[in-house]
Amino acid sequence: MILQLSDFVNQVKAGQISISENTYSIIEEAKKVNKKYNYFTTICEDFALAEAERLEREVRKGFSGLLLGVPVSIKDCICVKGVESKAGSKILEGYKPNFDATVVAKVRAEGAIIIGKTSQDEFGFGTFGKNVGVDFEIPKNPFDESRSCGGSSSGSAGFTAISKHTHVSIAESTGGSIACPSSFCGIVGITPTYGRVSRFGLIDYACSLDKIGSMGKNVNDAFLLQKIISGYDERDSTSIRDQPDISILKRKNYEIAIPKELVESDLADKKVLDIFWNCIHKMESEGFSYKEVSLPLNSKYSIPTYYLIAVSEASTNLAKFCGLRYGKHEVLKGYFDDYFSDVRSNNLGKEAKRRIILGTFARMSGFRDAFYLRAMKARTLLIDEYKRIFSKFDFVVHPTMPILPPKFEDISKFTPVQDYFMDLFTVPANLSGLPHISLNMGFVNNLPCGIMLTADFLRESELISAASFLEGLL
Amino acid sequence: MNKVVIGLEVHTQLNTNSKLFCSCSTKSDLPNSSVCEVCLGFPGSKPKINKKALDYGLKVALALNCEINKEFYFSRKTYFYPDLAKNFQITQYEVPLGKNGIVFLDSGKKVRIRRIHLEEDPASLVHSAGISTSSYCLIDYNRSGIPLVEIVTEPDINSPSEAREFLNKLITILEYLGVFVVGESVLKCDANISIEGYERVEIKNINGFKNVEVALTYEEKRQRELISKGEKISRETRGFDDKEKITYSMRTKETEEDYGYIAEPDLPIIEVSEDWLKELKREMPELPEQKAKRFVEQYKITNYDAKVLCSNYSISLLYEDICKEVEPTFAAKFVTREIMGVLNYNDLTLKQSGIEAKEIIELLRLVNENRVSEKNAKQALIRYVLDKIKPREFLAKENLLIDKSEEDIYNAVKIVLANHKNIFEDYKQKPDKVINFVVGQTMRHLRGKAEPRIVQKLVRELLEKGKM
Repeated sequence: MILQLSDFVNQVKAGQISISENTYSIIEEAKKVNKKYNYFTTICEDFALAEAERLEREVRKGFSGLLLGVPVSIKDCICVKGVESKAGSKILEGYKPNFDATVVAKVRAEGAIIIGKTSQDEFGFGTFGKNVGVDFEIPKNPFDESRSCGGSSSGSAGFTAISKHTHVSIAESTGGSIACPSSFCGIVGITPTYGRVSRFGLIDYACSLDKIGSMGKNVNDAFLLQKIISGYDERDSTSIRDQPDISILKRKNYEIAIPKELVESDLADKKVLDIFWNCIHKMESEGFSYKEVSLPLNSKYSIPTYYLIAVSEASTNLAKFCGLRYGKHEVLKGYFDDYFSDVRSNNLGKEAKRRIILGTFARMSGFRDAFYLRAMKARTLLIDEYKRIFSKFDFVVHPTMPILPPKFEDISKFTPVQDYFMDLFTVPANLSGLPHISLNMGFVNNLPCGIMLTADFLRESELISAASFLEGLL
Repeated sequence: MNKVVIGLEVHTQLNTNSKLFCSCSTKSDLPNSSVCEVCLGFPGSKPKINKKALDYGLKVALALNCEINKEFYFSRKTYFYPDLAKNFQITQYEVPLGKNGIVFLDSGKKVRIRRIHLEEDPASLVHSAGISTSSYCLIDYNRSGIPLVEIVTEPDINSPSEAREFLNKLITILEYLGVFVVGESVLKCDANISIEGYERVEIKNINGFKNVEVALTYEEKRQRELISKGEKISRETRGFDDKEKITYSMRTKETEEDYGYIAEPDLPIIEVSEDWLKELKREMPELPEQKAKRFVEQYKITNYDAKVLCSNYSISLLYEDICKEVEPTFAAKFVTREIMGVLNYNDLTLKQSGIEAKEIIELLRLVNENRVSEKNAKQALIRYVLDKIKPREFLAKENLLIDKSEEDIYNAVKIVLANHKNIFEDYKQKPDKVINFVVGQTMRHLRGKAEPRIVQKLVRELLEKGKM
């Protein structure tokens, strides 16, 4: 039996669990699992074991914390001081930040043990975990190795699902990178309101869209982690100053909106829809009320808007990687631009290159009005459309992904545009910066399948409370 | 002759304690000693705006009579270059903090300011063996992230000397605002110059305001010569070689460079509230024109002297300090003629000269008490500036202090007159010659330690009295 996070912490406090032994045990598990599933880019064995010993000494001196001794994995794009942090890219090989990301500092202050950096699509550029960096291994679905565990927070979700230990993971979402792998791996993933969690220490994909969130085996685990990592941080100028606390509410009679365009989409697998409607009817019988609504703008324009903004920002964020100050270096030769080109050509993956080229194009003079600037304006309209829904409903609810975890051989057949359209269900909430949660609503052919609830800005309490109630029903 | 049309883009560092987007100090000695993850552009780091730099930028905009944009934001200007830590520069593009300002020249002519914005300085590149021969270059990130203000004029300037006057006025205003330190802060200029009716040429990266006039003068001449020979002026970007004092072609401008600007997503939109503006306006110091006006009223000095004094911030401060102890018109004369003369002649700033008000006050007091001749006072000032010897010490050492009272001089003149019986008769014939003679004799009697003006005055008085 795997203990819930709060029970685990209580047992550590009571001296029933040894932090060192538990850490050793989960590190051994991670190493073993990694050989087959590739969930980690770095397993920080020495670091974690030393940290466990240090923590035990602190505990003897009276130290306590909400995550005392809890093993936490961190998506590779989030900086951990002294631990190689590569965002899944070869170009950052050897980069050991000299600072902790704010979220890392926060969980460490609560007594968490960082066990490793989890694998991801390079810089978060993917839906299936397949766009890993040069020389990285593709993470595999814990339920079927021939299938994707979703992306881009693939390793975080995969290991959260497979581990036999109490474990939570800090993940990150730009366009669905928490919800999608949560769905494919059958776990709970929380993506908070944009700005609720500090991005200081996050290796950026697209700054105006990136959100750090939490993953757990159950709603409670993810909720506890989410609560700890949230909060204003003066080192991130976009973080929100006055935040309502996140807590579990008693309310059950939520009103939910189901977007017609998504559940009627050609993309949607009928087996996923069946399980979804089953779930909705169960919710209805427990006091939820639902109505089908229309999100015409989001269903039509969110994907192009999202990708234009994301690639525009990403192409500037990735400019700094040129083998000059940190990360992968090459033999110095030629002029600086030859050298930069060499480093970038050799060490960035195909999708990263594609997004750099797309983004550079979208912000070129002559095109930026038609692409980048128009997308920025469209985003405002798309947010307004959601706001109108939230004036009448508590949540927008739909399947997290239109499909079950796909086989790698099928993914290879997608064109890039088909690939991007697989994000249709997760992108709207992400583009608008709205908080959402994905939890497992059941299995089809032994493959998990997630349901996603989206709430209005800063309504994480309602969101998590409803999810917690729903979790009990399913 | 067709007019020359000039527009300037001035970049200068703002004198803040910390950098624009991190808390690293702007002052440092060893290379790469004042750096952090932000100004090195390390992955995971985030910029955080320095409020002081915003205040300074807004004050510059207010002092140049600009409209302030109530909401403005920063943008990323992307280009690959080794001095740029992130390979993009955080600057302002669509909406700068200020626009539509005016600077008045002495003639009353207006130079319009198109826009003012803030941006970060890149790192500095060090080519140890010169830029063309070094096989490598070193990068010093101490400069990376220091706040720069960019001030862009409309093409309202019509001669290289007007450009110099504009820059002088601008620097003086920046100095009054306390955002610029002459001799320390760096000023760089890009200039657009054309002869009316012909193609425009941009001269990039002219360092120091004195070079701007030199570069523009050269370029105007070059363009006029081309025109008179009937040759084409090509639209291009030129550099300025400050050793040879010439401009040279860098690249022809077929198209604008494309920097792919996007809004900086790591920084919020800056909202300038009414309260903030009020506060800034309250903090605005007296600017050169206001100060000159006050000097005329308060110290009863001429408009001209007031203007000269106020055209240099530190001089205006020195003058006011001196005025606390010394009669203002006398002080104005000494500061504008002697002190500014010495500084100009030796090409020194007041700060570099080390001149202190209290030394000047003492010197002027000696002059006022007739204890030192004006000629010797000037000499003392020169030694003070060049040899750092205090004026009083110099005068004492050189035995140039007048220790004779007027009575001693009076007695000495009487003795000289008594020794020359026919002197009064001679005086009636040749007054000037006799005055000079008696003055000379008296000075010799006093061994030169007397103020010649007083000797002359007493000699004249006594001769006039005696001739009756």
